[in-house]
Amino acid sequence: MHATGASASLEQRSQAVVAGLEAVDPHFVLYLPSSTLKLVLAHFLPGGPGHRSGRRVFPIPREEEGISILSGLALAGRRAVMIFQDNGVGNLLTALLTFPQPYHVPLFGIVTRRGGLGEYNSMIHTVSERTEALLDAAGVRWFQLDARTPIGDWASTIERAHTYACTTHRPVFVLVNLMSG
Amino acid sequence: MTLYRPDVLREIDEAFADQPVVLTIGGVIREMLALVGRKPNHLYSLDAMGQTVAIGLGLALGLEEEQRHAKVVVVEGDGSLLMGFSVLATVGALKPSKLVVAVVDNGVYLATGGQPTAASTTDFVQVALDCGWAAARDVPSEMAALRDALDWARAAAGPILLRIRVGTEQPKTDFFLEDPVLLAREFEAWLRKNVARRLV
Repeated sequence: MHATGASASLEQRSQAVVAGLEAVDPHFVLYLPSSTLKLVLAHFLPGGPGHRSGRRVFPIPREEEGISILSGLALAGRRAVMIFQDNGVGNLLTALLTFPQPYHVPLFGIVTRRGGLGEYNSMIHTVSERTEALLDAAGVRWFQLDARTPIGDWASTIERAHTYACTTHRPVFVLVNLMSG
Repeated sequence: MTLYRPDVLREIDEAFADQPVVLTIGGVIREMLALVGRKPNHLYSLDAMGQTVAIGLGLALGLEEEQRHAKVVVVEGDGSLLMGFSVLATVGALKPSKLVVAVVDNGVYLATGGQPTAASTTDFVQVALDCGWAAARDVPSEMAALRDALDWARAAAGPILLRIRVGTEQPKTDFFLEDPVLLAREFEAWLRKNVARRLV
């Protein structure tokens, strides 16, 4: 019997996200800072097992800049992913809705959740708990991986969500809760 | 003497006639269309203000190993560049060798009525160099100097930034109301002629 997301540790959840991303096998990994994503990012950064020849991993200062870089990479036919935290979703909406969404450019993002059960910050829920509503209002397709999802399904969902972005020609995000929620 | 923006756009198109060119929003797109018509190597960014250089950066990174595309050109305005200014640091860190950014600087948001930007107090060339770009130049406002700069940009290793000051005079042009899906597909099809890769 598979463990549920609820019984999985931060390490198990992070490993499941890494497994999903490795199945996608991105040529480019763009990231923003996130303490909850530390283990996932460590996999791709220098010294990690995912830091390899033929893959470029780099930081970006703003989510909207990442959306545009991803768009150029997609038009060039390259596989890429942006990894960021949900409190940055508001930053990227205008860029998303003025280029990749109306131009039907497939993009893929892993968005770590904040707020909710397990949150320790007194403020971040104010923006993070509205992530689904913001994405719904923007017409952006998303999938959720959290305590309700068996941990054994996480990696395949990430891989299938990337394929879905490509086959439906649009941005798709996977919201992953690496905390206990 | 002040350069006229349509003249600058015509020179850029001629200098990079067979290379991908990303065009920033507003008058730049409409004037380029009026001058040279619709071209498959031109990517028209209709409303993504502040994102043009970042789109070009993604293309330049993605096409780095493609032989056919020696350059990826971005035609950007001063107002749009300032709106996404952090990309100068990202470009400087990643150093995409094919990227050429031509900042066509009229000092105002011309499409919205001519309100001033912060360009007059911003040294784009120095900022780019300090961020680690391979080269950057202020282009003197003469056609001969512009042609020399474009010749140099065609041959030199990037990333390269050219700041080209132009006046605020603009020709009357029609709105460009094409479906953006077609714009992306046409540009992608042109790129794909020599790029076999697919996303999936």
